[in-house]
Amino acid sequence: MKPIQPMEPMPPSMMARLKDNKIIQAWLVLILAICFGSSLAGIQLTLGPRIEENKINETREKVPELILGAARAQQLAETEKALEIQPTSVAVTKNGRQTAYSVLEARDPEKGRLGWVVKAGGQGYADKIELLLGLDPSAEEISGIFVLEQKETPGLGNKITEEDWRGQFIGKDTDRPLEVVKDRVDEENEISAITGATISSRAVATIVNTAVADLKGKLAAQ
Amino acid sequence: MVYLVDILLIGIGAALINNFVLYYFVGICPFIGVSRRIDTAFGMGCAVIFVITIAATISWAITTFILMPGAPLTTWAAGLFVSKEAAARIDLTVLSYIVYIFAISSSVQFVEMYVRKFFPPLYKALGVFLPLITTNCAILFACLVIMSKIVGVDNPQDAWDLGRALTLAVGGGIGFTIAIVIMAGIREELDLCDVPKPFQGAAITLIVAGILALGFMGFTGVDTGLRNALMPEQTIASAPAVSPEEMK
Amino acid sequence: MSDQPTAAERFIQGILPENPVYRQLLGLCPTLAVTNGMQAAITMSGAVLFVLFCANVIVSLIRNLLKPHLRIVIFTLTIATFVTIADRFLAAYVYQMSKVLGPYIPLIIVNCLIICRCEVCSSKQNVVAAGADAIGQSIGFALALSSIAAVREILGTGHFFGIRVLPEVWPDWVVMVLPPGAFLTFGLLLGLLNWYGTFRAEKAERG
Repeated sequence: MKPIQPMEPMPPSMMARLKDNKIIQAWLVLILAICFGSSLAGIQLTLGPRIEENKINETREKVPELILGAARAQQLAETEKALEIQPTSVAVTKNGRQTAYSVLEARDPEKGRLGWVVKAGGQGYADKIELLLGLDPSAEEISGIFVLEQKETPGLGNKITEEDWRGQFIGKDTDRPLEVVKDRVDEENEISAITGATISSRAVATIVNTAVADLKGKLAAQ
Repeated sequence: MVYLVDILLIGIGAALINNFVLYYFVGICPFIGVSRRIDTAFGMGCAVIFVITIAATISWAITTFILMPGAPLTTWAAGLFVSKEAAARIDLTVLSYIVYIFAISSSVQFVEMYVRKFFPPLYKALGVFLPLITTNCAILFACLVIMSKIVGVDNPQDAWDLGRALTLAVGGGIGFTIAIVIMAGIREELDLCDVPKPFQGAAITLIVAGILALGFMGFTGVDTGLRNALMPEQTIASAPAVSPEEMK
Repeated sequence: MSDQPTAAERFIQGILPENPVYRQLLGLCPTLAVTNGMQAAITMSGAVLFVLFCANVIVSLIRNLLKPHLRIVIFTLTIATFVTIADRFLAAYVYQMSKVLGPYIPLIIVNCLIICRCEVCSSKQNVVAAGADAIGQSIGFALALSSIAAVREILGTGHFFGIRVLPEVWPDWVVMVLPPGAFLTFGLLLGLLNWYGTFRAEKAERG
């Protein structure tokens, strides 16, 4: 019977191979990370500007319609002339907090300032509502609104995006805050609510009123 | 005061009104998989709250200080090589998804070690579910929402601070726990009912979840109402009384 | 390894028998979230196809270098990179749709479907099989999403792909495009498919 042999210590070559594997593993992750990182950097460099452009155009392409009205904006597009659009920021101090409104100034190359487009937002019925508000150069008249983002109830609250309802805001004076009424519209500063979506309608009016109250003086002074 | 009201509304919003499971559809896999018994469901919910808090803190910190354009650490580090203006424009947000998922994996590892050491019975009960929290959409979703509130705002002052980010994370986790515990309670009763064979398991759970979602829809508008009740002066635009002559 | 399914088998399995949504119950988050309308569902399926295919191919190419303790890290890194690329492409070329899909594109990273395929298939088989598996599973995913989206869009808005298919008198079942509708539609369709599967199995047994 063969004497029991003590177990041989693990051959050094295998130990070295195991360690090697772990190093290979770490190297693999590193190489992959570098490859992926550089491809992502490439993507960012090529697509980044395009994405930025998309974001800016989202608001910019609405400006002619808001300032001039749908018909004249269409004419302008056909003649391939464009309005000069100058983005600015108007700082406002409210309740001790500093906020800034993002404002676009629309100019015609010959006629000068045609109006302002203000980006305003506020709480709607379900979630935040973001809209664009068009004002005339002295901020005395509303030239239109456009709802950018809303998450109101489909079929009810999300009718605030419809052109008919938004058309009520065109031509309203800014000397008095707008009020939303459920029945007939009697006064100059009244807006008719969407049936079944009074809160959403009131939210839009509140956002418009707040923006006007905050910015009227400052825009007229510019 | 405004800050506290904001925090309260974010928390209630994430927990009840825009419930992560029943409104945003994140965390559905554990919602259907782990909701058979109330104690496992509750344990899972608590683990998720823990992980989501840690993950949200890490991702908020990394986004605010390293990833976003104009972040302090990046600007300082790059400022050693290039001009200050160029350094301020470096935008590392393209790396955000990778960073978030690794932050989440590390948080889960950390929580797993912690639970194994201090709560062994819970560790045994949760078993394989703890590592699965890494693929729980709810946590990555919370990080993504926080990122959109930091990087996606027009005004740098409106970017969310740590308090708001944490409230969203904890609120979302609590909402997930509420949903999963309610579902576990219902399923414990369903086990005694005569569910038709094709619907047993996932299908009936989904239908029950649909009815639950209908119920939670009743919370819509609670935050608007609360905001109007707590801060009435903010809602009515008081236009300064300026006469027309002064305007000209 | 001859006991592994071939590329063709992987492809066919992915479409209906091992459908990722209806049979494996993976990737449920986007199934419920983006099936409001057909356009969103198809865009999401396209994104998943891109990510799954690229991830499967890359993992298959390096499968011999993978060791157990680091493979999840490598899977995650690969998937996260391709999801970022897909997300940027969508934001650059179809900006409105990327806003509609919102945070659900990055959520593809934690979509159990992709990690599962990497684990089960591409870390063990060659590139061709992995690629076929990816395409098959994505087609199955697209079919599942489209089925739910079709029901929700037609009943909820009367439109299909933006084209009106139901007459104006149809009172839109708004609940269909809201969260509860997603759960209910999916649950009912899943039950229906389960019933159909058992029905066919019983018929095969008897016939």
